[in-house]
Amino acid sequence: MTGLASPAMAATLDGAEALTTVLEAARSGDLAAFDTLMRWHERLVLATALRLLGKMEDAQDASQEVFLRLYRNLNKLEVSQNLAGWLYRVTVNVCRDARSRRPEEASVEEAAELVSPDADPQQAATRNERQRVLELSLRLLSGKERTALVLRDLEGLSTGEVAEILGTSQATVRAQIFQARIKIKGFVESYFRRRV
Amino acid sequence: MNCKGWEERIALSAGGGLDPAIEAGVKQHLAECAGCREFAGGMEDSLNLLRSAHEEPIAAGHYTVVRAGVLARLEGQRRPWRRWEWAAGLAAGLAVAGVFVAMRPAETPKVIVAAVRRPEPPAVAMRMAEAGAQGENTGDRRVRPRGPGGRGASPGHRASLGTEPSVPAFPRIPVTAQNRGPETSALVEPLVVKLITNDPDVVIYWIADRKGDAQ
Repeated sequence: MTGLASPAMAATLDGAEALTTVLEAARSGDLAAFDTLMRWHERLVLATALRLLGKMEDAQDASQEVFLRLYRNLNKLEVSQNLAGWLYRVTVNVCRDARSRRPEEASVEEAAELVSPDADPQQAATRNERQRVLELSLRLLSGKERTALVLRDLEGLSTGEVAEILGTSQATVRAQIFQARIKIKGFVESYFRRRV
Repeated sequence: MNCKGWEERIALSAGGGLDPAIEAGVKQHLAECAGCREFAGGMEDSLNLLRSAHEEPIAAGHYTVVRAGVLARLEGQRRPWRRWEWAAGLAAGLAVAGVFVAMRPAETPKVIVAAVRRPEPPAVAMRMAEAGAQGENTGDRRVRPRGPGGRGASPGHRASLGTEPSVPAFPRIPVTAQNRGPETSALVEPLVVKLITNDPDVVIYWIADRKGDAQ
């Protein structure tokens, strides 16, 4: 993965020097440094896992597994390697394994867990509604469509980056994105028509 | 919308990143087709809704749970490693000690019989033996202390051992059910052999208990 056009990846590039320092310290067994490394990438991992799995508890389990794999592979990672891309790839793999182990469950209620507790009630209600729509619409998608849409449209990666992470062609990713967007558009419109 | 052929291109253009030539064609078509504009607007709205929901911050506590769980597991993995280090050190120490012991020159211990001594017989048994030596055999059951040959020790032999008590003649004691007692255990004389090896720290005492020939 050479292109770093996405905001998430660009953010890690800004602190490339700091990342190198922290990575070296973590490699030497400094858990505080590894904690810093986790803090820098926790949103990337947890948010992606949450969208792929739909449940906060499952997403937290998957995120822990991702970071444990990161720790085990610290010595194999090159400093010049794109750590964000590596984390996306591992997150997708861990979530795919988690999905295959347990059947998908209805978890609409858990969408409210995402809301920050400092929000005022009206904002919270709006946020809850959005989270609910997001969660329900993602559940309409197949596993591959969901992964492609989460990486492309929610995490903001390019089609090429998504293809590299998923190990597939850009044409395949485009086809999955198209199908996913059509399904989501249909769901969102019907959802709000019912609400009106 | 009747423009099925444009649907995919419009849907893909909603997220951006399409080939510029295709993007320009989509824009031109949207300018001409109201139905496709409605379709594109709906696509943009749904994607914007999903993006805004996804960008909402996740409560900090959820991150804390993840990090704490990872750090706890990493700490837990480190502790067995430290235990293993201790065990490895101990094993290495034992191995070195084993090699040291194995490399010492093998010495066949020379055994020297330093002394053979028969413990003093109990005083009661000596008196009984003396009484028996006076020839007062009435047919009652008597117990004699064993000598080196397995029979009653002679006065000369007792003197050579230096264990002869100076007791007067002892009257014959008839054996009854009441005074029979544990004759074998009280009157058995173990033979003690002291073995000295060439290792000054090793002295072997051999106690031979000769049972069965007391009568």
